[in-house]
Amino acid sequence: MLDQLEALRQKAVADLEASGDTAALNAWNATYLGRQDGALTAILRGLKDVPGDQRKIVGQRANAIKVELEELLAARRSALAAGELARALQAERIDVTLPGRAEPRGGLHPITQTIRDICAVFAEMGFHTVEGPEVETDYYNFQALNIPADHPARDMQDTFWIVPGQLLLRTQTSPNQIRIMEQTRPPVRAVVPGKVYRNEATDATHEAMFHQIEGLLIDKTTTMRDLRGCLERFAHAIFDPASKVRFRPSYFPFTEPSAEVDVTCIVCRGAGCRVCKYSGWVEIGGSGMVHPQVLRNVNYDPAVYRGFAFGIGVERIAMMRYGINEIRLFSQNDLRFLSQF
Amino acid sequence: MKVPYHWLKEYVATDLEPQALANKLTMAGLEVDHVATRWPKIVTAQIVYLEPVKGSNHLNATRVTTGQGDERSVVCGAPNIKLGDVVPLALPGAVVQAEGGETFTIGVAKKMGIRSEGMLCSPRELGLSSDHQGIYILPTDTPLNMPWEEVVIELDIKAHRGDLFGIYSIAREVAAFANVPLQAPPLAVPELGPTPVAELARVTVADAALCPRFTARVIQDVQIGPSPLWLVLRLAAAGVRAINNVVDITNYVMLELGQPLHAFDYDRVADHHLIVRRAKPGEQLTTLDGQPRTLDPDMMLVCDASGPLSIAGVMGGATSEVADTTTNILLEAATWHPANIRRTSGKLGLRSEASSRFEKGLDPNLAQQGVDRAARLLVELAGGTVAPGIIDVYPQPVQPRTLRFTTHDVEWLLGYAVTPSEAAHALTALEFGVVLDGEGEGMTVTVPTWRGDVQEGADLVEEVARVLGYDRITGTLPSGPLPEPQLASWFARQERVRDIMAGAGLREIVTYPLTSRAALLNILHDQSNVAPLLLGAVDLSAPAVDGNGAGLAEQTASDGAKGKKAKKAPAVATAAATPNLPALAPDQLPVVVLTNPLSSKHETLRLTLLVSLLETLGENARQGAPSARLFEVGRRYVPTPGMATGAELPHERRSLGVILYGRTGDEWLETARDLDFFDLKGIAEKLLRTLHVAGARYTPTHHPTFHPGRCALIELPVSAEPDAPTRPAGILGEIHPAVAARFDLTRRAYALELDLERLFAAAPEHYHVQPNARYPALTRDLAVVVRRDVPASDVAAAIRAAGGALVQSVTLFDLYEGQPIPPDQRSLAFTIVYQAADRTLSDADGDAERAKVVALLRERFGATIRE
Repeated sequence: MLDQLEALRQKAVADLEASGDTAALNAWNATYLGRQDGALTAILRGLKDVPGDQRKIVGQRANAIKVELEELLAARRSALAAGELARALQAERIDVTLPGRAEPRGGLHPITQTIRDICAVFAEMGFHTVEGPEVETDYYNFQALNIPADHPARDMQDTFWIVPGQLLLRTQTSPNQIRIMEQTRPPVRAVVPGKVYRNEATDATHEAMFHQIEGLLIDKTTTMRDLRGCLERFAHAIFDPASKVRFRPSYFPFTEPSAEVDVTCIVCRGAGCRVCKYSGWVEIGGSGMVHPQVLRNVNYDPAVYRGFAFGIGVERIAMMRYGINEIRLFSQNDLRFLSQF
Repeated sequence: MKVPYHWLKEYVATDLEPQALANKLTMAGLEVDHVATRWPKIVTAQIVYLEPVKGSNHLNATRVTTGQGDERSVVCGAPNIKLGDVVPLALPGAVVQAEGGETFTIGVAKKMGIRSEGMLCSPRELGLSSDHQGIYILPTDTPLNMPWEEVVIELDIKAHRGDLFGIYSIAREVAAFANVPLQAPPLAVPELGPTPVAELARVTVADAALCPRFTARVIQDVQIGPSPLWLVLRLAAAGVRAINNVVDITNYVMLELGQPLHAFDYDRVADHHLIVRRAKPGEQLTTLDGQPRTLDPDMMLVCDASGPLSIAGVMGGATSEVADTTTNILLEAATWHPANIRRTSGKLGLRSEASSRFEKGLDPNLAQQGVDRAARLLVELAGGTVAPGIIDVYPQPVQPRTLRFTTHDVEWLLGYAVTPSEAAHALTALEFGVVLDGEGEGMTVTVPTWRGDVQEGADLVEEVARVLGYDRITGTLPSGPLPEPQLASWFARQERVRDIMAGAGLREIVTYPLTSRAALLNILHDQSNVAPLLLGAVDLSAPAVDGNGAGLAEQTASDGAKGKKAKKAPAVATAAATPNLPALAPDQLPVVVLTNPLSSKHETLRLTLLVSLLETLGENARQGAPSARLFEVGRRYVPTPGMATGAELPHERRSLGVILYGRTGDEWLETARDLDFFDLKGIAEKLLRTLHVAGARYTPTHHPTFHPGRCALIELPVSAEPDAPTRPAGILGEIHPAVAARFDLTRRAYALELDLERLFAAAPEHYHVQPNARYPALTRDLAVVVRRDVPASDVAAAIRAAGGALVQSVTLFDLYEGQPIPPDQRSLAFTIVYQAADRTLSDADGDAERAKVVALLRERFGATIRE
């Protein structure tokens, strides 16, 4: 009886391995394990006729074989299913090198991106970002900034006039120093990005309209060392953590002491190249301690309050960042240029 | 200011090489524009052999020597040379000038078979004058082998340092910064004339406020002639052409000390009496440049009894000019009121070396130094005799200013500590007088009279900082308190709009706000009424007072420092479908006009972003761009009534402009299609939804930039309050084909302009959201047939109204026209989502809602339901 069982098991295992699809597996199941006619089922059913001492041994063996065959069947089924799925998926193969569906790609103008990045650096240091009018009065653009009428410093900025002597297109973002201080009390920390206008012929590095960012900080403790520290942080964030800031004495009627701000040339990293005229430095703006007369003009007591102001040229910084040597590209708005950003 | 290196070294014994000196000056605040070498490899030489070249009708073979036992062969074609002449010799490698300012380098050449090792030069070839008639024949006593090479450091002198327009003053700074001694030019005057000046000439100053000091000397028996070569070269290196010895000396002293001078022909001054006065109205003078000038009483003149001789501090007149026949000189060195000189030269359009110095403010104490120095040189170089004494009209001599100063002032601004002796040392180096207090940090500082720019402590701090070096100002971060946090700012709002637009696939442009009236009119296909250009920027329902946009007032673009919300005071809000446009003829175009534009293309500020969008698109289309999706966040500039008097600024309206053009991208997956009105409207809707703006209305309108059947007025609520009335805030539509053609657009274009101030007025600063519903929603589709002229938005609104609070959304999913719908009607199919907060809606609820909707649509539009 046990021999008979063993022969059945071997045949069943061999048959199972030969079954190549689901239909064959179902047939195999009916042949060996079927409730009605399965060969093993028949043996189990016939156990009652087996003599008592054999019945237990044969019964245990038959049940073990049944469990084994059921497990083999399940394994075979899942192997076959995996193969069928794999074949189906294989048939769905696509060319992944075909281009993706074109989403229209928008983007921000490089001047916007540069202004945003610079203002973010100063926002981290507590500077508000505010705006002011582009059409200004002579008072805010010049007089309150310690540039009276008939002052030679007016030659530094050729002016577009709307009402001569009274209304003009601002030549700098500095009038906002006055507007901000008139509207608030210290502590003041603000940056003012915006368009400025100069009545000058345009060339590769000059435009009649360009962008500046004004900075102003007034409180009771801030010194020119803090000005340098803020500008260093700005240079590290915008250019390179290794870039250096250099102050050169200069003259702006509304700051005293005044300093031109140079940063390490990012093209040659200070070694000297055409961009920096072999000096290793590139000028990015002007700065200084707010002139006591300017403070008095807005009724701030210069014996109590002090602080700094700076003005940064946005185009120049964008030109350095993106390796551009032609400022007019910014206002031409040619898509071949813009789509690179 | 051009500073010849060797000239500078006459006063200051620095051993710094030119480039090192230039760096030092730059770091001292004297910004160096550039450093250039003049006349490299030019020396003086003598012609020791001269013979015509055989076979040439003009060439000479010469041999020249520099007196060092050398001789070299030079072939020369100039007609004016002769044996023994001392001439400038350009050695191989020298750079000389050709006609028109171009330069060329001298090499060794063969001419007619003769070796030529250099070139003899004309004045023009050396950049000395335009004279190219012949070789520059030098005085025979000119030393041979004298090298001409000079390095010129060009400085950008700032407007506050009028004192630095003299080479000696530059030397004073170099002495302080290089810590070397300073050597003043000799000023002592040999007064050997027989007659005291007081008996020879008189000066009357009628307006001392405008002429603080007037000094004069008389120099007799001068011999007018050419200046010696060293003087000619120094002037040329400093950018001034030699004329004759007398004029050259006045220019030399001006360049040396910074004091302009004027030499009158003594014998041509009536009564030898100079009168300094204001011009009479309409008085005339022909200046040295040959131009007749009409003067006014704000201008100062130096006159004699017969009339004006010179425009004070600006330019001399032709009548009393020094000429070849002049033998006696009346020499003027005066000080003039800076602003007055600036106004005069501005009004006359006449800038001179003199006026550019006087307008920055000169020390009156410099005048006498100038007249003395020039008198001395007239003795040395023109053989003159100086009359004893000086005429000096100086009613109120300028006294040095004294300032109290402490090291605390330095620390207050610079942030680092200095000792009193450090500060004193720095100031003394620049010739400030310093008396330290016996103890403590204070001192009394006497400011040299030439330093008019130093007015208070902060100015002294800068001087100390310059001498100690700006490098000592090392970086720290501010430690003071922060301002109050910034709330909503216009910067942040605009950045938000930019992000939404870029996220919608649009490319940002940043354009010139300068445009022209012609360009503005060019975007209108019908120019009879230009008022629509103002749409959205002003309240068009308010009556216009005049063509300057009066009565169209609203807030300006000023932000306020603390991000305070701009005060909103909208005039009458309107719910009218079409704004009540006040008609404006083209010549009434209300624009902000520049009085001094760079060009007629840039003579006004733009009134609308549409002009910038169309021009930028047109330019890209001409460059071959087949499609474009552009936006700009910028300002429109609307005139105000008070603008003409300067009392009021124009309104600067922050706006969004969008333009779409061409087709969706051609790709292998999908067929490209033309972009259309609804692409544009979708962008507008996306913007409004992202900003939580509810209640926008789009109504058909006419605008002369747009297609008459494809243009909508955008109306937005005046506030974010529920049920706020709406007002016009912008426009969108298809560009009129006649306008599109002007910009060379070959496909249809769609543009939008939206006023951002009105947009954000309708946007809530804060909003609340709903929790997710606990009960399922009920969705019903409904197709209704209505007349074609019933706006779809009206039908949707009616569906919403019928369902009340239960309606969560109404979405149009199909629009059908054609069989079997009658030709004047169309079918609109909506998906309606109902949602109750407290229960699951049943089919019976759905049927009831549907019945309400159907009833309302029937009643309102005569709609039928498509089953």
